[in-house]
Amino acid sequence: MIILFVALPLVVAGVLPLVGKISRRVLPDLLANAALLFLLVYAVAAGRPLIGNGPVLQQLTWLGETVNLRLALDGFSLFMLMAVSLVGLCVGLFSVDYMEHYGAKANYYALLLIMIAGMNGLVLATDLFNIYVFLEVAAVASYSLVAFGLGHDELEAAFKYLMLSVVASAAILISIAVIFGMTGSLSLPAVARALQELNAGPVVGISAALFIMGFGLKAALIPFHAWLPDAHPSAPAPISAVLSGLLIKVSGVYALTRIFLNVFGLTPALSTVLMYLGTVSLVGAAFLALGQKDIKRMLAYSSISQVGYIVLGIGLGTPLGIAGGLFHLFNHALAKGLLFLTSGSLQQATGTRDLREMGGLAKRMPFTAATNLIGSLSIAGVPPLNGFWSKLIIIIALVQAGHPVFAVIAVLASVLTLWYYLLIQRQAFFGKLNERWAAVKEAPFWMTAATVLLAFLCLAVGVLFSLTIKTWIQPAAGVLAEGVQTVIRSWGL
Amino acid sequence: MIIQTALLVGLVLFSALAILLKDLLKAAISLAVASLLLGIVFFRLGAPYAGVFEISVVAGLITVLFILTIALTNTGEEVRESRLVNIVFPLFFVVFIVIDALVMKGLVQKIPALPAAAESGTFGDVLWKGRTLDLVGQIAVILAGVFSVLALFRKRDKHD
Amino acid sequence: MTNTWYFYLFFSAALVGAGLFALLAKRNLIRLFIAIEVIAKGVSLLLLATGFAKGNVLLAQALVVTFIVIEVSLVATALALIINIYRHTKSLDIRKLAKLKG
Repeated sequence: MIILFVALPLVVAGVLPLVGKISRRVLPDLLANAALLFLLVYAVAAGRPLIGNGPVLQQLTWLGETVNLRLALDGFSLFMLMAVSLVGLCVGLFSVDYMEHYGAKANYYALLLIMIAGMNGLVLATDLFNIYVFLEVAAVASYSLVAFGLGHDELEAAFKYLMLSVVASAAILISIAVIFGMTGSLSLPAVARALQELNAGPVVGISAALFIMGFGLKAALIPFHAWLPDAHPSAPAPISAVLSGLLIKVSGVYALTRIFLNVFGLTPALSTVLMYLGTVSLVGAAFLALGQKDIKRMLAYSSISQVGYIVLGIGLGTPLGIAGGLFHLFNHALAKGLLFLTSGSLQQATGTRDLREMGGLAKRMPFTAATNLIGSLSIAGVPPLNGFWSKLIIIIALVQAGHPVFAVIAVLASVLTLWYYLLIQRQAFFGKLNERWAAVKEAPFWMTAATVLLAFLCLAVGVLFSLTIKTWIQPAAGVLAEGVQTVIRSWGL
Repeated sequence: MIIQTALLVGLVLFSALAILLKDLLKAAISLAVASLLLGIVFFRLGAPYAGVFEISVVAGLITVLFILTIALTNTGEEVRESRLVNIVFPLFFVVFIVIDALVMKGLVQKIPALPAAAESGTFGDVLWKGRTLDLVGQIAVILAGVFSVLALFRKRDKHD
Repeated sequence: MTNTWYFYLFFSAALVGAGLFALLAKRNLIRLFIAIEVIAKGVSLLLLATGFAKGNVLLAQALVVTFIVIEVSLVATALALIINIYRHTKSLDIRKLAKLKG
C-alpha cells in the first residue's frame, strides 16, 4: 500500500484540528509524531523487501473500479521517502517543545504533515503533471509555515518566497505543456520513449531550460537562490530544518534528477550545464556565507552551497558521481536538519540569532554544543562523519571522469566550509561565557532528544558508511545510472 | 475564428488593463472580465467544464477574494507607482507583442509532434478515473490553503 | 504541431510576458498579485490549447481544472499574507518590505 505514504499524513492532517479542539498540546503532539514514526518504520521495514525484485508499480482499484492511482516505488524513490520520514520525525519531535510559544500547534502539525504528504506524493508520482500538483501542495503548505510567527520579517520573507516560487511553478508548467505538445503524453515512461523517437533538439533544449529555471529556483541554485537566505532564517527553526533539509531537495533536486536522468536522458550538454550550475552555487554561496552574523542566515547560504555539491555530483552522470551526490543529499538532510534544530535551541535559550552576542554557551548547553559540533563537522566533511565520505566519493568521481579542475574547486570549497562552520562553533559555544547567558539552561527534553538522534545518525552513517551505501545508495544510484531505460523498461505499464 | 481572435485580443487587453489601472478595484473588475473572456474561449475550444470552472472560480471566487483584500487594506494612502513604468510598460508590451508574433511565425512547423492518445470516455471518466492522483493532490492543496488561512489569521495571545 | 497551437501560444506568451514585466516593475502588493493571476491565465490557456491541438481536450480540461483549484489555494494564502503585511506596515508598498537583503 504505497499510497499510505501520501494518504496517511493527509488524513491525520485533516483530523488534527478536531483533535486540537479537544486537547491543545498532548494529543496533537502524540498523533502527529505517531504518524511520522509510522511513515519511517514503513519506509525502512516494509519498503526494502517490496523493491527486492525491481520497481513496484501500484495501480489501485477503488470500489471495484480501476482508478489511475499509479505510484512507482524504486530504489531512488524509496531512498527519498526514507530521508523525508527520518528528518520529518526528528523535526516533529523537536516541535513538541519548540512550537509551544507560537500557539496553534494542531494547525502547525497539520501543515507540516501536508508538506510531507506533498513531498511523498512528488517522489512517488509517475506522471509529469502529478509531480507538479504535489510540488504545489508542499509549496502552499510551506508559505504559511514560513510566515507562522506572524512577525514582520517572517511575513516579508514568506511573501518574497511565494512570489518567486509561483514564477518557478509557472515555468515548470509551461515546460510540461510543451512536452505534452511534443510527445502527446504526460506519463514519465511514455514521454521518455517518445523523446527517444523524436529528434527535437532545440525545443527539448527550451523545455529543459525552463525546467532548470523552475526546479533550480525550488532547489535554490545560484542564480535562482534569492529567496532562500530570507525565508529559511525567518521560519521557525523546525520548519527551516524541513525546508533546507528536505523541501529544496525533494522539489528541486529530486524532480530535476528524475526528469533529466530518467526521462530526458543526461546528454553531455545537460551534464555540463548542471556541473557548472552546481559549482557556481558551491563556491558562490560558500563565500556569501562567510560574512554572515546571523547564524541561521549562514546555515541558509551553506544549504545553497551544499545543494551545489549535490547537483555537481549528480550532473557528472557517472555511477560513482550519482552515488556520491545522493549520499551527500542524505547526509546534508541529516546534518543541516540537525544544525537548524540546534540553532533553534540557541535561539530559544538566548532570544537572539546574532553570533556576535553569543559566547561560551558550551558550559551551559553541553548537549546542544556537542550536537552542533557533530553537525558542523559532518557538513564540513571531517572523517569519520558521514559528510566526509559523500564529499570524498564526489571528488573521486570527478577525478575519475577527467575533471580535475572541478575536483580541486570542490576540495577548496570544503576547506572554506570547514572554516566558517568552526567560526560558528567558536563564536557561539566556545570562549568566554557572556554574562547575559549565565542563567541559560539546556534545551528542553524533546528538542535535545531530536538533535541527539540526528547527531547519532550522522556518526553512525559515517562509521558504517559502506553499509549505508550498499543498502540505500546503490539501489538508488543504480536506478539513475541506468538512465532513460529504467523508466521505459520497468515503469511502462 | 474571428470571434476567437476577438475574444483572445480582449483577454490580453483586459489583463493589461488590470495591471495598468490605477484604481485597484477597477483593476480587479478588469481581471474578472478577462477571466470571463477566457472562460468563453475555453467553451469555444470544446472545453465546457474548464470554461465553467474558469468563470465561476476565477472570475467569481478569486475576484471576491481580491475585492475583500482591497477593502480590508483600503485605509492607507495610495501606493504611487513609478511614472516612468507607466510609460514604459505599454511601449515595452507593444514591442514584446511584435517580437512574439515574429517568433511564432518563425516557429510554425518547426516543432515535431507525436499524436496523442485518443480521447476516451467522458470528462467524468477522465477526471475521476484517469487523473485520480490529481484529485488527491487537489484535496491536499485545499487542506493546505484552509489551514494556511487559519494559521495566518489566528488570534495571538502572546506576541513574540 | 498544428498552426492553431502557435496562434494560442502567441496570446499565451503575451499574457505571461505582461505578467512577468509587471512583476518586475510594479510596487503595489495587490497589483503584483494581479500580475501573477495574469501569468496563471496565460499558462492555463497554453495547457488547454495544447490539449486542443493534440485532439485530447478532455485531458487538458482535467489539467486546467486541477490547476485552477491550486490557484485558488495559492490566492487565498497570498492574500492572507498581504492582509497580515498590511496590518504590520500599514502600507502595500513593496519598497517597505526591504528589511531583508536576500
